[in-house]
Amino acid sequence: MGASRSALLPLDEEKSICSETGFTPKQLRRLYVRFQELGKRNPACEFLTREELLDIREVALNPLGQRLVDVIIEDYGEANRINFKQFATVLAQFRRGKAITDLNTKEKKLLFLFSIYDRNHDSKIDRHELLGILKMMVGGNIHDEQIATIADHTIEELDSDGDLTITFEEFCKTLIRIDVDEKMSMKFLN
Amino acid sequence: MMITTAQVFTIISIICAPMVGIAALVLTLAALNLSLGIRRLYVQLLALIFDYATKIKRDKEISIDSNASSDEPPTPLPPSTAKNKLAPTLEKKNEDNPAEKTNSSIHSFDRRSQDPLFNSALLLLYNSSLRDIIDCTRQGLEAIVDDDVTKRFTSAEEMVVWNLLTRTQQQHEYFSMRVTLLWFLGFCVRYFILFPFRLFLFILGVLWMLGSAVFLQYFPAKDAKLRFGFYINIVLHRILSRVFSAIITIHNTEHRAKCGSICVANHTSPIDVIILSTDNSFSMIGQQQGGFFGMVQRTLSQTANHIWFERSEAKDRHMVAEKMREHIQAHNNLPILIFPEGTCINNTSVMMFKKGCFEITEATIYPVAIKYDNRFGDAFWNSSKHELFQYLILMMTSWAIVVDVYYLPPMTIEEGETSVDFARRVKAAIAKQGGFVDLEWDGGLKRALPKADYKAEEQRKFYEMLKTE
Repeated sequence: MGASRSALLPLDEEKSICSETGFTPKQLRRLYVRFQELGKRNPACEFLTREELLDIREVALNPLGQRLVDVIIEDYGEANRINFKQFATVLAQFRRGKAITDLNTKEKKLLFLFSIYDRNHDSKIDRHELLGILKMMVGGNIHDEQIATIADHTIEELDSDGDLTITFEEFCKTLIRIDVDEKMSMKFLN
Repeated sequence: MMITTAQVFTIISIICAPMVGIAALVLTLAALNLSLGIRRLYVQLLALIFDYATKIKRDKEISIDSNASSDEPPTPLPPSTAKNKLAPTLEKKNEDNPAEKTNSSIHSFDRRSQDPLFNSALLLLYNSSLRDIIDCTRQGLEAIVDDDVTKRFTSAEEMVVWNLLTRTQQQHEYFSMRVTLLWFLGFCVRYFILFPFRLFLFILGVLWMLGSAVFLQYFPAKDAKLRFGFYINIVLHRILSRVFSAIITIHNTEHRAKCGSICVANHTSPIDVIILSTDNSFSMIGQQQGGFFGMVQRTLSQTANHIWFERSEAKDRHMVAEKMREHIQAHNNLPILIFPEGTCINNTSVMMFKKGCFEITEATIYPVAIKYDNRFGDAFWNSSKHELFQYLILMMTSWAIVVDVYYLPPMTIEEGETSVDFARRVKAAIAKQGGFVDLEWDGGLKRALPKADYKAEEQRKFYEMLKTE
């Protein structure tokens, strides 16, 4: 009777992940169910790959979908895949609630956003990376030269130390007026 | 001692007598549209039992939780101090930057060939695009955790009150002897008492259908035949609704669909048809199937004019629309029943309506909202999880199906309104009445990949925003 889910998360693993991420046991179990769901093409495998994440319709449709998946797999996983603990860790940064651990801080959210731009991991957003993001958001609607102009002027405006790149601090400055903590927090249902 | 045939007969008749008696009772009630109110009492009793079971469970859980929390050490201070360490550095940088900025802005003023107004507009643009990027990121993350679409296609949230069906719990935890005992009792009642009885009623329903088909075949007068067919159909469905112990409450009966119109409803389960047909007779529309179902279709055609078309015709949308138009324009044809979502949704939302039936401009549309109460049995048919037969068995071994049917005032397409807009309008009305979430998602997403132009649409929206800033 009813659907039988695959094996549950071992209790000691559950406890350790809970204490590191700040999720409640119920939230974590639900996340584990979701993790299994996403990886259902290879039920024996304990990892999620880029393709499995991109299989989610809303992610495939999202203009930044590819980039988001890149950040998750490359920055938080290893060898092009991510296991459950890493999966929970990256999502814990967006958990709405008190900061029980130091994961769901505003700083971490800002870093995540920054890494969406900064794909060569040199802690700076250069013109090329900015162009990349703008192109993803806008698609084929604007000519490349126009996007380039927007990118150039944006860098000029935001770059305060004159090296024609946007550092993390400069990036955060532009986000002062936006309540990143609020806008990037998600409610994890029990 | 040898048992004589006479004794065997008496035994059989003793067993059958109550069955026959009940069958006669059910038939009479169905024909006269009366209800003894037994089902409602039964459901109230069940509700009390469920509340009791949940109370036991909650008490247990509270005691488990309080044990756990006493084990945990108090939250260590270091993490929060680490956070504070970072914050001052950020703030410090912000203090320094204004000074730097004025220097650099004087410096960069030489670099800029455009006017400052353009640059502040640019900054505004950058900020709003940043907001969009943040929103996109968050939406992507939310989709990874639990996307809207799969949420609608899997059964709705775990219930707050457990209804003693293990199928509604993801893990059956052993937490109390009393509750497990209750569950076991419930299991026995459902499978060994209710189920055989419902099966018997089902057979009765099928016999009624076949009998009436034979009866009507030899009926001479055409008009009388249709009128009889109408009543026979309703009685049949009332019997069938008792098979599932359906408790149906119909609201706004003044808006019941009339002849020569189209009736449109949200779709959760194959039982929807039975539920709606207890109050009104409809013309079905669909593909002519073979086998048992084909025979059912042919039998039904005896009692009313249904629209069955061949598989090849099904692809031709114009022909289907033409047939529907013909049907509507004949005045004493029954209303056509259509489920525009195209597939079963789990009764928490309404998905995109296919515009096909809304393109027939002469038709009056009678929208109907069907809302199930999940407490006594989840009527949603997850076709990827259960076969139809399995699903019917599940339905027949649930406690009951409690459903509210809301008839909505008729709607017609307005001047200059496209069929897509009209479909959306009807959908919004149904969503509002039933308390469903009105989603733009396509029911076809259950099986197929989304259309490529949706992504293009998202990009176009961002572009428009850039243009107007």
